[in-house]
Amino acid sequence: MEAGQVTERAAPAVGEQVAERLRRQPWVGAVGVIALIFIALVIGEGLHDVAQTGVNGLSLGAIYALGAVGLTLVYGILKLVNFAQGDFLTFGAYMAYLVNVTWGMPLVVGVFWAMITTALLGLFFERLLWGPMRAKRAGFLQLILMSIGLAFLLRAIVQWFWSTEIRVLDVNTTSTVDFLGLRVGQTQLIVVIVGVGVLIAVGLMLRWTLLGKQMRALSDDLELAETAGIDTRRVINYTWIFAGALAGLAGVLAAAVTEIYPELGFELLLPIFAAVILGGIGDAFGALAAGMVIGVMTEWSTLVIDASWKTAVGFLVLVIVLIIRPQGIFGRAKAI
Amino acid sequence: MNDDGRALLDVDGVVKRFGGIRAVDGATMRIRDGAITALIGPNGAGKTTLFNVVTGFYRGERGSVIFDGKPVFGHPPHELARRGMVRTFQITKALAAMPVIDNMMLAAPNQPGERFRNLVLRPGAVRTREREVRKQAMELLEVFNLAELADHYAGTLSGGQRKLLELARALMAQPKLLLLDEPMAGINPTLGKRLLDHMQRLRKEEGVTFLFIEHDMEVVMNHSDRIVVMAEGKVIAEGEPHEVRKDRRVIDAYLGEVVVDTAAGERSPA
Amino acid sequence: MSIDPGTLAPLAVTFKSLTDVDFWVSVGVLAGIYAIVALGLQLNTGFTGIVNFGMAAFMAIGAYTMAILVIKAGFSFWLSLPLAVGTSMLFGVIVGLPSLRLRADYFAIATIAMAEVIRLFAQNARGLTGGNQGLFCDLDNPSNCFPNAWNDLSDSINNFVSNFWTDPPTLLPLLIVIWIVVGLATLALTYLQRSPWGRVLRAIREDEDAAQALGKNTVAFKLQSLAIAAVLGSIAGFFLALDLRTVHPLDFEPLVTFFAFSVLILGGMGSYRGVAFGAVLFWFVLEGTRFIDLPDPPFTETRIAALRLAITGLLLIGLMAFRPQGLFGKREEMVLGE
Repeated sequence: MEAGQVTERAAPAVGEQVAERLRRQPWVGAVGVIALIFIALVIGEGLHDVAQTGVNGLSLGAIYALGAVGLTLVYGILKLVNFAQGDFLTFGAYMAYLVNVTWGMPLVVGVFWAMITTALLGLFFERLLWGPMRAKRAGFLQLILMSIGLAFLLRAIVQWFWSTEIRVLDVNTTSTVDFLGLRVGQTQLIVVIVGVGVLIAVGLMLRWTLLGKQMRALSDDLELAETAGIDTRRVINYTWIFAGALAGLAGVLAAAVTEIYPELGFELLLPIFAAVILGGIGDAFGALAAGMVIGVMTEWSTLVIDASWKTAVGFLVLVIVLIIRPQGIFGRAKAI
Repeated sequence: MNDDGRALLDVDGVVKRFGGIRAVDGATMRIRDGAITALIGPNGAGKTTLFNVVTGFYRGERGSVIFDGKPVFGHPPHELARRGMVRTFQITKALAAMPVIDNMMLAAPNQPGERFRNLVLRPGAVRTREREVRKQAMELLEVFNLAELADHYAGTLSGGQRKLLELARALMAQPKLLLLDEPMAGINPTLGKRLLDHMQRLRKEEGVTFLFIEHDMEVVMNHSDRIVVMAEGKVIAEGEPHEVRKDRRVIDAYLGEVVVDTAAGERSPA
Repeated sequence: MSIDPGTLAPLAVTFKSLTDVDFWVSVGVLAGIYAIVALGLQLNTGFTGIVNFGMAAFMAIGAYTMAILVIKAGFSFWLSLPLAVGTSMLFGVIVGLPSLRLRADYFAIATIAMAEVIRLFAQNARGLTGGNQGLFCDLDNPSNCFPNAWNDLSDSINNFVSNFWTDPPTLLPLLIVIWIVVGLATLALTYLQRSPWGRVLRAIREDEDAAQALGKNTVAFKLQSLAIAAVLGSIAGFFLALDLRTVHPLDFEPLVTFFAFSVLILGGMGSYRGVAFGAVLFWFVLEGTRFIDLPDPPFTETRIAALRLAITGLLLIGLMAFRPQGLFGKREEMVLGE
């Protein structure tokens, strides 16, 4: 009788080692690509322009990342591709407008009001739609189309009350801070600091607190987590609170650096999806890194092509990532 | 070991990794033409993964697979199926929202009606072949006692009936080699017995070669001509049942308790 | 027959539009165009299991290629049609090849992203597409005008019709041609669906692995399905262009695809006959909001637009919650589940 022969394990060639490393830690490759783009741009356009647009990109990236964390948590835990997430941002922006402009209160109050109301909105639809649909074991297409319906409904409500008129928050858009020879808008700087600060706090919370660990357990296997005695309902509620509050914040920040109109959130949705996928589903730090990368890439693109094309950059990044590495680059690799 | 008889399938040094884990780690085996071969091994030995690499569903990192004299490693599953290597799945993949008869007719090879151009230019040829395929499908359903259910949606069948349907459907594809992933799992013993009888008959009458994954040692010992044993991603033994039963490595790795069990219990094979 | 809002009671809701021929023609034209789009979606999503959120791109490529060839390159209208269909199919294959191996939800996101890239291209490549102005007839050079060839046909149809009906609506010929296409496409797709080819598609929808294990080259079949959807999408794009007499980026927003999905769901997944019913019902309601004389205030124009959006949203939510198989879908062939 013949035993199976074990194939000899030759030491892998250097090329294979690199390939293996890239497979396990693809972000190394991504950082390399970004570094190359950076060098090429610096040579072509000069350091100042690259840094200036890069800073703009960070504020855009912070908004993408905030939206993406909520989306990625819901996607990871509830397996729901929530097309209404963009309109959560819109809702948050209008809530801040209500407080800040209509009622004339400081923007900080508007930020908290937007975060609270959008979180409640998330909870409300969990109770009304998503919980019952999970109980019915609805399929993925059913849920995705329902979330699109919800996106339309939210946009319609906003449009009913505030019309399609373009509005702005009462923020200081003119004063700038000089920093290493760069002129950075004060509002932009605040957006970056608030966005990154909140995201790091959320990331740490997810990694170190019990709630965060439970969320990850649900993300791996919801039913298993339930049988393991985790109060899944509570964790799901918190997931929606986080997703809603972060979306509300992202909406206000977007409104602060740009304008408010009913399509605001829907237009941000695809770059946010890009950040979710690039970051790896369910990974908050991945979403943070990916959101920043997409934001910076988008702004850098204005150095070489007309600014009107820049929205397409996020979509192209999304398409390219989906084609070469759908399981994401900055997060844990998961089988797709 | 006596290694006479032509090998229909020759698997050599196949490696498949998931992340850092080598699920299949250099598996090598020869499946003899016209034999019923059982693939056994403890859970996590890499049996199903090996199936998936051999049939093209997973892309292995390294190794070679020769089927019917031609190298097929890394070829897509549909091409292997067309060459006569047809598989079933551990969790039955009855196409639930299609009627039983459509499940069967789907599997037939050489259907001109699957090509767009023929639907427009040669509708006659399409119809003729459809009639043939339907007749053949009904005959097979008769054999498997499923004929009355032909127009029912496959989703309405019982678990055992689905297993039979999957086997019948695989036969519609006119296989040389049938790979069955735990065909006996989750069905009642009577139906299991029928399935085994079908396998024996098909080998004898149609010359179909079988490779099946199975956990029930009684079935393995009594109904297979040869046994391949896997552990930790490697093939640790290959041979006839009486040889494998005595192999030290096999007993150490896997069989030990089971053999003792069956020897002590009344289910002990004759 | 047109309604003059001033002559109607300003504060009362009137349903006079239901007897208005213009209302029905407008419902019919839009319903027909969306029925064609939804037939493509039915083939993709209902019968192949690929969730195509990029139908608007097929429409845009069809309409823009046609308009560019006629207006910018001086091609004849009739020659531009097959070329535009071909371009759209090519795009479908190019998009499909890398992305069809993705999981269904990723494929959906990839297709909507690609559709948005196309729309942004139309918005920004001003030299070719006219940017936000869109493409329309050049008044200085009216010979290069895509509706010209159509106008001739349209006039001769209406001349013929005027034998029985004095002063028929201008859009009547378009309505007739659109619905002939809807009928033919429904018949052709039904035939395909009953063929061995359609059987393979359904198997892919159920379980792609099983279809592969039985020797079917599933990627090739999915590409064919996508290419046929591209044909239908571009035909719908032509009709939309003829209806609106321009080709404009705003006509190809993702909303268009989701309107077509609403039509599809309303009619029922897995039923070609349902599509036409779904389309008429959907546009009857949506055009109703335009024709029914709603009092202003509170019904300003943007609020009526919001109302249409809300109706679509509620329709999607309600159907998904209570009747996911739609009006004509089969429960056994529920394809919305996993």
